[in-house]
Amino acid sequence: MASIVCARGLTKRYAGVTALDGVDLDLPAGRVGLVGANGAGKTTLFRLLLGLSRPDAGTVEVCGMAVSDDPAGVRSRIGYMPEHDCLPLDQSAADVVATFGELGGLPVRAARQRASEVLDLVGLDEARFRPVGGFSTGMRQRTKLAQAIVADPRLVLLDEPTAGLDPSGREEMLTLVDRLGSFGIAVVLATHLLDDVARVCDHVVMLDAGRLVTDAPTTSLLHQTGAVTVDVGPTGAVALAAALVARGLDVTTSDVGTIEVTVPGETELDIVRDVVADLGLPLHKLTNRLTSLDDVFAREAPPR
Amino acid sequence: MSDPGRAGAVYDRGYRPYDGPLGGRPAARFALYRTSLRRAVGLRRPWRQKVAPAVLLAIAVIPAVINVGIGYVTRDTPAEGFEFITYREYVGVSSALLLFVALVGPDIVCPDRRQRVLPLIFARPLTGADYVLAKVGAIFTCVFAFSFLPQVVLFVGQMLVSDGALDYLGRHAAVLWQVPLAAAALALFYAVLGVAAASLTGRRMVAAATLLGITLVTSSVAGIIVETGSGGGAGHPAALLDLLSLPLQVRDLVFLGRLHEDSSLSGVTGGGAMAAACYLAVVAAGLAVMLHRYRSVEA
Repeated sequence: MASIVCARGLTKRYAGVTALDGVDLDLPAGRVGLVGANGAGKTTLFRLLLGLSRPDAGTVEVCGMAVSDDPAGVRSRIGYMPEHDCLPLDQSAADVVATFGELGGLPVRAARQRASEVLDLVGLDEARFRPVGGFSTGMRQRTKLAQAIVADPRLVLLDEPTAGLDPSGREEMLTLVDRLGSFGIAVVLATHLLDDVARVCDHVVMLDAGRLVTDAPTTSLLHQTGAVTVDVGPTGAVALAAALVARGLDVTTSDVGTIEVTVPGETELDIVRDVVADLGLPLHKLTNRLTSLDDVFAREAPPR
Repeated sequence: MSDPGRAGAVYDRGYRPYDGPLGGRPAARFALYRTSLRRAVGLRRPWRQKVAPAVLLAIAVIPAVINVGIGYVTRDTPAEGFEFITYREYVGVSSALLLFVALVGPDIVCPDRRQRVLPLIFARPLTGADYVLAKVGAIFTCVFAFSFLPQVVLFVGQMLVSDGALDYLGRHAAVLWQVPLAAAALALFYAVLGVAAASLTGRRMVAAATLLGITLVTSSVAGIIVETGSGGGAGHPAALLDLLSLPLQVRDLVFLGRLHEDSSLSGVTGGGAMAAACYLAVVAAGLAVMLHRYRSVEA
């Protein structure tokens, strides 16, 4: 798959701080998760991709164009959704999105038409003529996403798109992000919520203190751990855990009513099945437990 | 009843890629100019935002209407030819123009900084210079229009009430270039000062007070120095400090080719050239301030 972003030796320093330190990247044109703690260099990387800041060393290409050669040209191919509030509060969502469509180079009529389309797409069709100032956080996030894609960019940079959203709003936003890939729009999703990345991204980039620690497909990072997660409901979990321990298995209970059982082989897995059946418990879920991105991040970027 | 906090579910209506023409930086710059101009004159905004430009235009046209009315009433009388206001005086005669810039300049600039819209704008194919050009251009267009349109009313009205329209046109042909040039000089000066003051803060009231304060304080200080330095007689170079009258000195240079005898620079050697140089220096300084303010924006 062709790279949508290609960086070599990318370095950016601010007074006394190295925000990015010789980063090499080859991001495929899919959904890429950019993961890192606060200060890891995510926003600096976005600034460099947008051509709003010049690297102290190294080069970066976006959509096959060198950012240093034509930053404005590169920006015409990128959509950007900042983390913070950034919308004109006294304008309607339709006006805001149409305006940013025009600023992205769309003719007036096309901008208004596409604003209507993308607001439909993000679920704001009925609210598009209301002032943004009266919107909830979720609606503002969706408006921000709409303005990012209105000019049909090849790449969209999303900075913490689920920040401040309730669980259902977060799920809707992740669904939208997931769908962007099917529209042919490459996505770089910056977040510190590893679950979001595991949920929608095909590729993961981890930054830690300006250093690249991981740049790999998501699936290659999530391995089987030799444990299974069993969900028999919170009331049955205690009895099941006790019975499995009595049969000599290593059991860990979680605070959400599931238990994790180490199963080195098929024999132990059969024991789990039989104990659940013997106790007459409802088996809601029995899955192999994979390593989480949290595990990967903790291993690759241990706390200092 | 629907929940007002939610706009509804996300439906799968698909996505249609855009395959039409896509403008680059010039199109983005013009779009920003158009958006700013629309905002300045209150289009697509609540009626309250339309009041200021409408009132300004009404105020600006009143002298023209009075002048034409006098011309009509006094035609074929000994008082014929009386001028309530001249074309030269009409450029910049109304302080409502400055008040308009103090209100509207911050309104199209400050919210971008205060509401943190700038990172979104600069994530488009635009530079700081494009932003400055678009914002100054929008205010320039408003002020120029509000200066020029009343002059058109005055000219056409006077021509119609005169004995011979063609004769009037011939006698006043010079104003056809003097008025737009002088109005443009005034509009550029006000637009640069207004946007520069607004670029310094995210608060509209502070920006408006800054602009009015700068112009009124420099005018008062210059007036005191001129009065004490010249002994109430001839002009004084300190009049160059007066930002309120500086564009009017340039206006006089356009209309008369020299400073007016009532000017507080009148009698100062090279006063006209100094006024023109100061005008250019103030405009250049204002542009430099703006370019510096929008040189770098946080993403």
